[in-house]
Amino acid sequence: MWDLFVSLFINVLLWIYDVIGHNFGIAIILFTILIRIVTWPLNAQQMKGAKAMQDLQNDKDWQAIQKKYAKDREKLAQEQMRVYREKGINPFASCLPTLIQFPIIIALYQSIIRSLASTPLDLLKLSRSISLPNVSDLIPLNSNFLWMDLGRPESVAIFGFALPTLALVVAITTYVQAKLTMPASATPGDQSAAMSNMMSIYMPLLLGYFAITFASGLSVYFITSNVLGIVQYAMQGKANWRNLIPAALARKK
Amino acid sequence: MRKKFVFVMMILLGAVLLSACAGGALHGTTWAGLAADGNTAYLADAAIVYGISLDNGRELWRFSPGDDNKAQFYSNPVIAPNGLVIVGSAAGKHTLYALDPNDIVSNENIKSPVAKWTFNGAGGPWVAPPLVTGNLLFAPNSDGNLYVLSLNDGQSAKQALKVVDLGGRLWAKPVTDGERVFVTSLDHGVYAVDIETYDVVWHKDVNGAIPGSPILGPDGMLYVGSLGSQLEKFDPATGNHQPVLDAENWIWSTPGLEDDTLYFADVDGNFYSFNTSTGQPNWAPVKPDGPITASPLIQNDHILVATESGSLFAMDHDGKVLWTEEVGGKIYTTPVAAGGLTIVAPLETDFYLAALDSNGRRVWTFTPEN
Repeated sequence: MWDLFVSLFINVLLWIYDVIGHNFGIAIILFTILIRIVTWPLNAQQMKGAKAMQDLQNDKDWQAIQKKYAKDREKLAQEQMRVYREKGINPFASCLPTLIQFPIIIALYQSIIRSLASTPLDLLKLSRSISLPNVSDLIPLNSNFLWMDLGRPESVAIFGFALPTLALVVAITTYVQAKLTMPASATPGDQSAAMSNMMSIYMPLLLGYFAITFASGLSVYFITSNVLGIVQYAMQGKANWRNLIPAALARKK
Repeated sequence: MRKKFVFVMMILLGAVLLSACAGGALHGTTWAGLAADGNTAYLADAAIVYGISLDNGRELWRFSPGDDNKAQFYSNPVIAPNGLVIVGSAAGKHTLYALDPNDIVSNENIKSPVAKWTFNGAGGPWVAPPLVTGNLLFAPNSDGNLYVLSLNDGQSAKQALKVVDLGGRLWAKPVTDGERVFVTSLDHGVYAVDIETYDVVWHKDVNGAIPGSPILGPDGMLYVGSLGSQLEKFDPATGNHQPVLDAENWIWSTPGLEDDTLYFADVDGNFYSFNTSTGQPNWAPVKPDGPITASPLIQNDHILVATESGSLFAMDHDGKVLWTEEVGGKIYTTPVAAGGLTIVAPLETDFYLAALDSNGRRVWTFTPEN
């Protein structure tokens, strides 16, 4: 089942690669756009879920039960569930798209590695994944894109040091996207805001680590996906640019 | 709190799954390299090159480069006429090593051959074994270059005499007819390089990548199988070529030659016999029990075919199966014959090597002690 999923990715990637004139970097970028389109309903659901959770923090009924059951966690949880039910909110709705991202990332990573086939075993596995006709003309794929070999982790030698530039861009764009989508919190001790804040720190670190460790083709996916996310939020007028300003500066203003 | 737990678990799961994608339950990241001489089998597997006694399957020595902990070996080692074992690393510093099995040093009970020389001039993984001819080494690298090295210049840090830029990834051992060196590439190219001037005499493309070596037939022609699923015949002087047989799928490995017959296989598991004199197949392809990437091993009275299903088939010249041995695991590496034994290096087994006698009976297996 999983192999079928990876094979589907490989065939779509190869098809795009063939159509656009044998540039695997552009194929990954177009493939990412395709994934964003396919997962659009999930992203919309995430945004809706995040907004609902945020609104809930300002709800008087919600604030009242927080105060009333502050010392009885079990009762508090029961009451919170009641409010969720009454208002038709799924507290995990905003997590689902992030969860969906992981199988996509893993499948994409496997499909990039298998498509670029840097070892004989990878090339052999590729032969089992292809269902497009006449694809042997395409193999091996051109793994060079700009200054990168998409099948290997990226770094640029600066003053003798191997600087992982792409990993930095991945971390920065992930941070920017996370911050832009974080609604401004009005309530001190707001759990939802604390959770979003935590994600905006951990996710850039995690994806940055992935970018340093794994094939740079995966970083191209991360960056494209992040930039598309930022553009999507900005075009919908939902980007919270104030979140990019450090808290101390924001207070001064 | 619950959301925080879910989030942390999600990250950990993602990290574990993604990390798992990078490796696998194999000895290394691909199949092992294998060679043998009269007394010793040489196994290049992941980070270590082993020397193993053909008498009993015991480890004689192992080599793991101390200055390159990312080194990975999977090209077939080559035994030079002076006894040096030449093997290149596919990762880390991409070093080509010339090991001397007659000069062993011991360190903490581990015996290691001394590297008499190293070559660090290549930019890519060593997948292809080099060709040794006379005092020269023709070493194709995945960076697309054919490196010409002198075997006996006494230098411990080798410099290339000549770097011939061919292009693509070079994964197969070259062959020579004494005048030209023929090199195949994953960029679909077949190249003929003058053995004295190192000039490219001709370059022709076929319709698929070529991971296997070419072979010179008894008719003086050069035969090449490709991922374009065709066996092609080349004029070694001019490079003029034509397909002579269509296979069902990718032809991975180098054909085996006996008299005027070429034996080869495809990754669908079809096994072919092609008569170079008549230009016709001897019989319709037979299908053992799984995909075939290993070259057939020509023995005195039979041909050995190893399959991905972990089986070894002995066939007569009519394609009739004489015996079968279930070795286990998956066999991708071409078996070798030495000391009256057939040595097989399967993947995904608890042993690294198996030695079989001429009837397919297992004589010993080799598993490293640590």
